[in-house]
Amino acid sequence: MSRKKERPGGPFGPQKNKNEKFHPALLEELNKAGLNTDSLLYCITGDMDAEQCYSSCWVSFDEKGLYLAFGTEELAKAGKHHTPVTPVFTVKEIRSIPIDDIDSLDTESYLSTGRLILAKDGVQEPVVWFSIGLVGKFADFAKVFNTYKETGEVQLPPEDGHEGSKCKKCGAPCPPGKEYCKKHTKSSATAVRLIKFFGGHVPEITVIVLVMVASSVAQVLIPQISTRSLYDNVLSNPNSLPQAELVKALGTLVLSIVGIRLLNMGLTILQQYMSATIMPKVMYDIKVKIFEAMQRLSVNYYSSKQTGALMDRVMRDANNIYWFFTDGIPRFIIDGATIIGVLVLMIRMNWRLSLVAVAAAPLLLVSIVLGDKLFRRMHHKVWVLSARTGSMLSDNINGQRVIKAFAKEDDEYDKFSAVSKDLRNAEVELAVTEATLFPILDIVVMFLSVFVLGYGGVMVARGDGTMTTGTLLSFIVYLEMLKEPFGFMAWVTNWWSRCADSATRVFEICDADPDITEKENAVSLDNIRGDVKINEVDFEYEPARPVIKNLSLEVKAGDMLGIVGKTGAGKTTIANLISRLYDPKAGSIEIDGVDARDLKLDSLRKNIGLVSQDIYLFIGSIADNIRYAKPDASMDEVIAASKAACAHDYIMKLPDAYETRIGAGGQRLSGGEKQRISIARTIIQNPKILILDEATAAMDTETERNIQHSLQQLSKGRTTISIAHRLSTLRDADYLAVIDHGSIVEYGRFNELIEQKGEFYKLYQIQTEALKTIAINDAAPDTAQGEEENSDERSDN
Amino acid sequence: MNDRIIDEERQIIAPETLSTEYVNADSCAFHKSDKGFLAAEINGEKYDRVVLLRALPLTFPDEYICITDVERKELGIIEKISDFSPEQQELINDELSKRYFSPVITEIKSVKEKFGNFYFDVMLGDIKRNFTVKDLTKNIRYHGEGFDLIDVDGNRYRIIDYNGIPAKSRRKLEPYLY
Repeated sequence: MSRKKERPGGPFGPQKNKNEKFHPALLEELNKAGLNTDSLLYCITGDMDAEQCYSSCWVSFDEKGLYLAFGTEELAKAGKHHTPVTPVFTVKEIRSIPIDDIDSLDTESYLSTGRLILAKDGVQEPVVWFSIGLVGKFADFAKVFNTYKETGEVQLPPEDGHEGSKCKKCGAPCPPGKEYCKKHTKSSATAVRLIKFFGGHVPEITVIVLVMVASSVAQVLIPQISTRSLYDNVLSNPNSLPQAELVKALGTLVLSIVGIRLLNMGLTILQQYMSATIMPKVMYDIKVKIFEAMQRLSVNYYSSKQTGALMDRVMRDANNIYWFFTDGIPRFIIDGATIIGVLVLMIRMNWRLSLVAVAAAPLLLVSIVLGDKLFRRMHHKVWVLSARTGSMLSDNINGQRVIKAFAKEDDEYDKFSAVSKDLRNAEVELAVTEATLFPILDIVVMFLSVFVLGYGGVMVARGDGTMTTGTLLSFIVYLEMLKEPFGFMAWVTNWWSRCADSATRVFEICDADPDITEKENAVSLDNIRGDVKINEVDFEYEPARPVIKNLSLEVKAGDMLGIVGKTGAGKTTIANLISRLYDPKAGSIEIDGVDARDLKLDSLRKNIGLVSQDIYLFIGSIADNIRYAKPDASMDEVIAASKAACAHDYIMKLPDAYETRIGAGGQRLSGGEKQRISIARTIIQNPKILILDEATAAMDTETERNIQHSLQQLSKGRTTISIAHRLSTLRDADYLAVIDHGSIVEYGRFNELIEQKGEFYKLYQIQTEALKTIAINDAAPDTAQGEEENSDERSDN
Repeated sequence: MNDRIIDEERQIIAPETLSTEYVNADSCAFHKSDKGFLAAEINGEKYDRVVLLRALPLTFPDEYICITDVERKELGIIEKISDFSPEQQELINDELSKRYFSPVITEIKSVKEKFGNFYFDVMLGDIKRNFTVKDLTKNIRYHGEGFDLIDVDGNRYRIIDYNGIPAKSRRKLEPYLY
């Protein structure tokens, strides 16, 4: 592993590591307080003191000692958006501990805090507290310090993204690699990225927007004809026109209205047709982009996110974006154009009356915004209670067997009824409030209309030609027409927030960096022998919680290594590291003498087969699943692999044999049957290195015995690393390693370990005793007896 | 041997026949070690450092306290802290308050929601603190009259009595509290 080694004096220069750079103003303060900052080797910032009180804390060490400085850090008032803030530091106290008084440093994690602890001559002493979010940072500090104590070198930990940076605007924590927290991240950036998805459809989008504007214009024109012209030109003075003229004028008006309505309808159909053809294409692009990004991501990403949440992202978030762009944007354009068009026409018709109407518009907006705030709380309550009801329902359906076994149907009914009642009450409250408050909006518009009617009526009555009856009635219609677009405009920001929220989550996946990456100059091993070497590997899933500690192992090509240990000892982690589903934190794993990180991922994984306890078969036929690793495998190969895996006989008993549909919704298979398919699948893959991770753990003894034969067939001639609880499955191992707390506690051949009478012997004794107790000897004499015979044989060797 | 085991298996284990043995003031005494860690003598055995864990940290924080060594091997269970002397209670409570550190929110200056994240600006007594909670409904733990808020880093902040904080603070949180 190419880790940077820094010599003393390096923490403040430009570097790509996790050593913090103290702010120049802080360095000045520390110097003033008597600390020689030039010699500091490694520094971090904490947030608590030795008494667990919040306080700025700067922890560092040099070749003479460990230093803890306590004080305050105040951020000067932020300037305009994205203007970096200047911190002001005050150092109140510096505590120095001579380096010779410390043997090592360590961290402990509690519920929401952690503590740095020093050890001297086996006696521990607490040093300083910190918030739990800083545990990775302090654990790295302890590690760097301990390495320095041992070797005299400062080995800086690689940047791993454990720690986020602070927002330049408000100082709040923000995700790694981001300069601003989400609060200060502009949603316009998200909008720009979203709009880029429409880049390939600019001509169509332009036409759609024009069509929408035209449709709005047509809509706005209707009152001009249906109300104003009808009243002013025809109905205001019907007796002055001859009958034929009157009919003709009326006919023209009616035909005009029909024409405009038809035109409007035609434009709407055109717009919807064009949107309908573009939006699915854009959504396809977005979904494919998310899916592609998800395939790129490492297993670690999937372990830290719930499957449901990920599915939700792909489906719900994409749909949220879809509906905003399909419904929200067109309405925004149409309503925006309607508001502008109506206002222009109103001003043209009578600017005085328009001013009266426009002056009242803020009143309308304020009522809408206030109403929206109130309804938002209520909608949120309904949403949360509805989600709770949904979860309870799903929990109930999934737990039906247990509910019935414990005869708890009535209790479950009561629980569901109580939650449903809360939801009902919340919905009633919302509906009642809506029913009460919505009319208020109508009342505001009504008063406005009445006022306009009164004021306009006076103008009409004056008869000075400033206002006609038709114009006044058109005004009233236009006011009514403004109500809905104004309401939409007040609400569309929320809709956009939801869409931007979804888009941010989508982009978060697209932007996520996979933990496992392939080097640019990675090599491909076409014909690997299968030597596996694990060199002093350290690994942790969470900061400061090591799972594998300084572990070294070697398996020669074609040999079988058995790994034994208690649950949680780190056995499966070793399998994950060899397959490079994760990278070690320190040390390396070599395949045929080449660091796994220098190998092409494709080349590595094609040569490593994994048969695990968790069998996953995809939706499709049995044959398709068996040839998953090699889709062009012939049926001869599939049948031969199934026979080798002892799967052929039972497959042939199924009505559709190899074409039986399995996976979700398909033929139900037992654990043993599924495992045999997975073994056949691995035989077709033909890997040089085989990892058996508790392959038979979930099976009964008889099935295990059958599967064992399949596994023996599979491991012939391959480097095999077999992880198992049951020692009976490891009888063929050339070597055995006993793992405990991430380290090897025993290593050797079967008989050697038995003779040692150590951990392995204890496990062996326990299992043999257990087998005797549950009378397995009687039920399956071959297995237990075989194992005993086997052990005798080995002991004799 | 098999016969004996089968006989034992045939005996019905009813809940009422089971009981947990608790340590009490007679069998257990705590003290602070030279280095400031909690040490104890339990049933005559001395332990340089012990860990206290709450079995019901939200609903019964002062009952069912598990005593373990640093390797988390259980040494005993305290049924009620109040069974111990005031001095011993102080030691127990001091250790528990450090392990279950949850600063108390006295005032909520502002709560803003953006993209499903809730940005809190609060006062912890006279200390100003801001933190971010992702998905409020999943990161709230109700207890008694109040609740704990868990931020994106795993830090907990406690409101002991929701009705005890200023009404203005409640109004800020109210819209999101379901």
